Amino acid sequence: MELSNIPFLSTTDLSKLIQNKDISPVEATQAYLDRISNVDSDLNSYVTVCGEQALSQAKQAESDIASGKYIGPMHGIPVAVKDQFWTKGIQTTNGSTIHKGWIPDEDATVITNLKSNGAILLGKLNMSEYASGDAFHHPYGRPKNPWDLSRNPGTSSSGSGAATAACLCSTSLGEDTGGSIRGPASFCGLVGIRPSWGRVSRYGVFPASWSMDTVGPISRTTEDCAMTLKAIAGYDPKDPYTWNQPVPDYGSELTGDIRGVKIGVITERVDTEANDPEVRELVKTAISELGNAGAVINEISIPLIVHSAAISSTIISCDAAALTRKDLEQNLEQLDHNNQVRLLMGSIMPADAYLKAIKLRELLRRQILDALTKVDVLVMPTSSIPAPKIPEKAGVESKEEVLQGFKGRRSFTSPFNLANTPALSICCGFTSAILPVGLQIVGKPFAESTVFKVAYGYQSITDWHTQRPKI
Amino acid sequence: MNDLTHDEIKTLAKAVDIDIPDELIPEIAFSLNGLLEALNQTGVENLEAIEPLPIVIPTIS
Repeated sequence: MELSNIPFLSTTDLSKLIQNKDISPVEATQAYLDRISNVDSDLNSYVTVCGEQALSQAKQAESDIASGKYIGPMHGIPVAVKDQFWTKGIQTTNGSTIHKGWIPDEDATVITNLKSNGAILLGKLNMSEYASGDAFHHPYGRPKNPWDLSRNPGTSSSGSGAATAACLCSTSLGEDTGGSIRGPASFCGLVGIRPSWGRVSRYGVFPASWSMDTVGPISRTTEDCAMTLKAIAGYDPKDPYTWNQPVPDYGSELTGDIRGVKIGVITERVDTEANDPEVRELVKTAISELGNAGAVINEISIPLIVHSAAISSTIISCDAAALTRKDLEQNLEQLDHNNQVRLLMGSIMPADAYLKAIKLRELLRRQILDALTKVDVLVMPTSSIPAPKIPEKAGVESKEEVLQGFKGRRSFTSPFNLANTPALSICCGFTSAILPVGLQIVGKPFAESTVFKVAYGYQSITDWHTQRPKI
Repeated sequence: MNDLTHDEIKTLAKAVDIDIPDELIPEIAFSLNGLLEALNQTGVENLEAIEPLPIVIPTIS
């Protein structure tokens, strides 16, 4: 195989070729480094490329595999991670100039887990400052959507979406507090999962909201996403809220057979005028296809879901303000304008409003968990719109603009951060402007296997995952 | 509920000992008033019966 074609392989296919010694980890890593060098100046998906370290890791992997010490499916796979995760000896910025040049002396647990599974770290991916989906200024370059360079690749794991879609890494990690994995996955035509809170360690991850931050993969196929999650998930004594149970073999659920699986269609979020007409039709078609494949389709109502963005924004802005209080006092001018407004607002939030949001969260969670007692998974669009144009200015000019914002993408993804359930986005087609659209699949807490099963069942009867941007 | 005024925003900031530059006050007012209004638009009654406990314990179904 030509070296330049390696980046376009799925992680699953590359893994088999590496295991069979048809491709060496050094060849794969060099192929990705070459492509990053050729393409990323258009995308700004990387903050730091770890060329020498990556090749050094790859040589070790090559040597180990040659001597029969093959670890498993991630061995020799070139990956990239959001710059929110500590990486020993490698700059970690959290998307901010405040942390520019900061080099951690230890790895986040997810990085340790990737390395122990033999993965090769290509570099650190660009992101919205402090993992805030609202940030306007990107100090390390504005990330672009590979499907249309004038458009947003999704926030806040912007680089994870852009790099994975453009085949600048085999698979990637993002972090999702209000939709920051599923948004980029949807806007870039990828598969991304926000696992259950407690499934993946948060240790060594710059926090945004204590009770909603979740690390997960963004990949080009369902199998790749499942493989990557398997590598990073599991109990971690450094994060006391990780679940102390074995991680299932997600791959065993990927049979393609979804006959009899009960799917609940969230009425408030599917057949609604809040959705772009093309998004609505593509998602409805996807649901019909799932039904044709043997799934049992039911309609489910979750009345509070339309208010989830306001509930989520209240809690996250307060949490983030408390987490960044020192920066608000000492480095305010270094923060992005939108983050200044959001974090200062969170600092002065009346306690009554915060407590009201927590009560509403509990009610919403009950509605979602109740719905999940009737079906195996819930489905709805990941976003009401395809990737929007990159904004031209920061700030808001009226209260009405703020209220309008609560009807957008965050009200589609944040319900499941609030409920702490797993939620995955998979591409379910393209608009007439050739922009990807995401179908969101939501499972019961810790039922990631069922979510992957349905996603793979859908992927098996469609070919959206084979489409690539022309970059 | 009436919108919070710019002076009331400044008072809230003083109460928590945080400095807010004057030029940011209008946008913070838009944002906070918008958020408070959105929370009031949920129309949920009897919230008194709900305990505002943070959700940190995984629920396993």
